Amino acid sequence: MKNNEIQQRLRQEAKTLLEQGQVEYIVGYETGSLKFTTTPLLTKNKDDTDRLIVNPFIVNNLSVYLTEIKGKVGIVAKGCDSRSVVSLIQDNKIAREDIVIMGIPCPGLIDLKKVELLLSKDRDELGNITRDEDRVVITIDGKGRDFPITEVLFDNCLECQIPTPQEYDILLGEPTTPISGNVSKRTNIKELEATPREERWNFWKEEFSRCIRCYACRNVCPACFCQRCFVEESEPQWILPTPKWQDNLIFQVIRNIHVAGRCTDCGECERVCPMNIPLRSLTRKMYEIVDELFQYKAGMDKNALPLLTAYEPTEAEDFIR
Amino acid sequence: MSGSKIINKKDIGKLLSQWNEEFVILVPSKEGDTTKMAKWDGKDTGFIDWYRNTVQASKTNFFPPMEEMFSFQKDKEGYHIGLASSDKHKQLIFAIRPCDANALAILDVAFKDGYEDPYYLSRRKDTLLIGLGCINPYDSCFCTSLGSSPFDSTNVDIMFTDIGEEFFIEEVTEAGKELVAKTEGLREASKVDEAKASKVKEASYNKVTRKIDTRDIDKKLLACFENKDYWEKVSAKCISCGICTFLCPTCYCFDINDELVRKQGTRFRSWDSCAFPIYTEMPVENPRLEKWRRVRQKVCHKFEFFPMNFGVVACTGCGRCIRLCGVNWDITQAIESVPAII
Amino acid sequence: MKQELGWEPKLLGFLCRWCSYAGADLAGISRKKYPANIEVIRVPCSGRVDPLFIIKALRLGFDGVLVSGCYPGDCHYQTGNYRARRRMAITKKFLEYIGIEPQRIQASWVSASEGGKFAEVVTAVTKELKEIEHNQLFADEK
Repeated sequence: MKNNEIQQRLRQEAKTLLEQGQVEYIVGYETGSLKFTTTPLLTKNKDDTDRLIVNPFIVNNLSVYLTEIKGKVGIVAKGCDSRSVVSLIQDNKIAREDIVIMGIPCPGLIDLKKVELLLSKDRDELGNITRDEDRVVITIDGKGRDFPITEVLFDNCLECQIPTPQEYDILLGEPTTPISGNVSKRTNIKELEATPREERWNFWKEEFSRCIRCYACRNVCPACFCQRCFVEESEPQWILPTPKWQDNLIFQVIRNIHVAGRCTDCGECERVCPMNIPLRSLTRKMYEIVDELFQYKAGMDKNALPLLTAYEPTEAEDFIR
Repeated sequence: MSGSKIINKKDIGKLLSQWNEEFVILVPSKEGDTTKMAKWDGKDTGFIDWYRNTVQASKTNFFPPMEEMFSFQKDKEGYHIGLASSDKHKQLIFAIRPCDANALAILDVAFKDGYEDPYYLSRRKDTLLIGLGCINPYDSCFCTSLGSSPFDSTNVDIMFTDIGEEFFIEEVTEAGKELVAKTEGLREASKVDEAKASKVKEASYNKVTRKIDTRDIDKKLLACFENKDYWEKVSAKCISCGICTFLCPTCYCFDINDELVRKQGTRFRSWDSCAFPIYTEMPVENPRLEKWRRVRQKVCHKFEFFPMNFGVVACTGCGRCIRLCGVNWDITQAIESVPAII
Repeated sequence: MKQELGWEPKLLGFLCRWCSYAGADLAGISRKKYPANIEVIRVPCSGRVDPLFIIKALRLGFDGVLVSGCYPGDCHYQTGNYRARRRMAITKKFLEYIGIEPQRIQASWVSASEGGKFAEVVTAVTKELKEIEHNQLFADEK
């Protein structure tokens, strides 16, 4: 199904949900105020459903709003987002019966930062970006340039193995298959692992020297649902609110441990970082560690215990004396 | 206009080297994958090609994300206070955008009000601002709605205008005049150059298409202050992070913390944001626990309280809060949808 | 970096109140010899140990951290050590990935009757820590 067919159906379904009183809120995407950009739409009004859109720029993981909204919600969810919803259900943050998941089989989203790098132009200087299956055409000053779609998709989309929501009430479109045989461009886990320990440490030291502690990475993350984050504790004061690189790094390390088994690799933390810190090189690594050690992927089974509250009596413990 | 000068773009390196003898020079710089005004390396003038505006505003150079205020320690003789070393040097910021220069003028007001902030003001006092007008504003820019423009030279010492192969140079302040007078390698601008400059300015003015109506905005906001429905609707998608406030060139809230290691302590101040639920929680609790109250605070501080107190809107239309927001929360949409006074 | 002469590593131990702490006690009572490099914090259960404790200890300049609890199946609270084990497994891997030496993050099972094992663990961990640098990870005040 084409995007506009999916969009038409979504608008219809969302309107029906509100009209029939099955949900109080709809959470989806609408056209944003900047070129190409989309923005979350949170509404109770059935007329607003005509503004819902589906396109290759629907980046936000909307499940971040679920813990905040009181009442039943119909939510638009891509593969990774739907797993975040399931993860929240596992953690008892939301109840399955309060959520209507309108799943979107996701063919991958376009990373505007990659587009900008590819063409050495800012997004507002570009004409159009049109995706056609595995190609993308980008126009500048009326002239179109053609690239393989893999050049401009987000790293996490290139590596996504489960692009179709597993948990949904309504699936908008046919299930899609993962994009295969692609190497991420920015996420540099393999390169880092191949470098000596000191260099890895120094890499993160440099990266976190830039951090200004705006906490966008944490606030955009549906798995970061603590009422009060440990960085905000003052007794004991684990780390200072002052953006020293040491404390910035500790903040991010502990955040990663806290979201282990909850992080669905939606990539939002890295996307929103205004200082361009390659956060996915941390979150993706944790995703892989969790999978390797416990064969666990976040948000796959709403009935499963959360990773860090579950255990098997016999588990690898080669590191324990 | 008399006294205007011209320099070829190729000679910018030479010009900066000349100034570098007297000043520490800050230019638009790439740091990692982000940009800010940072110390010039003495060679690279590549920013002329890529620079539109930096991610971090020049506020960072005067009011950094964190700074040491003083250190303290205790020994047998009692307590000792050590003031943070301030490196006294004259600095020059090259190619600051009008919006960011205007923002410094707003911060000046805030940091002088009641108590004179020594940290900010001492850096400010020894700095010369060389403006560079925008020929290619972002689609998020809206400076023209705030009494400014991409070529507004109100708050710079010298103004540069890109007229193609060359820069058109205007002296604005006395300090700017003095500097131009002793600078070698500039030629007098001709009538043709002046005409070129005006043309560039006009074209650029028209490129700023995002508009807001700020007439009576403080009164309108005052009238809708208690309008919870409006503010809840406006704030719904905000995720309460600090991007817009931290990267805003006029936001100046900070938090103060002590770092204690055994008997040695350091007092730091660092940026704080009214978007955070724990903002000002230290004495009792944040009176703005609900998100809509925090968003209201941000908008009203800029467009209502600041103008009421100081006669100027605390927004310069740089558009960073729109451009860098993770959920595309747009302050211009909020301002435009403030209900009219009935 | 060359180690200073006579430098001794500082090890912070989080010992579970029911097994490992009692094991450490027994080591003392039985006059087992082990290096005096360990400072001990008694915790109710190894499951109480937050990864934050570990990285905070490193931030404060400890050269290594040892988390020690009851053997699987022996937890006073039934499952605390199982949870600690999962948490420690991911923490250790993750901290190694960002560039912290694996020797700095240590774990052991020591029962209340294993005074000897406690002494052996502390001896072995101290030896490993002496083989790597003094902890300068967070020292750079840039």
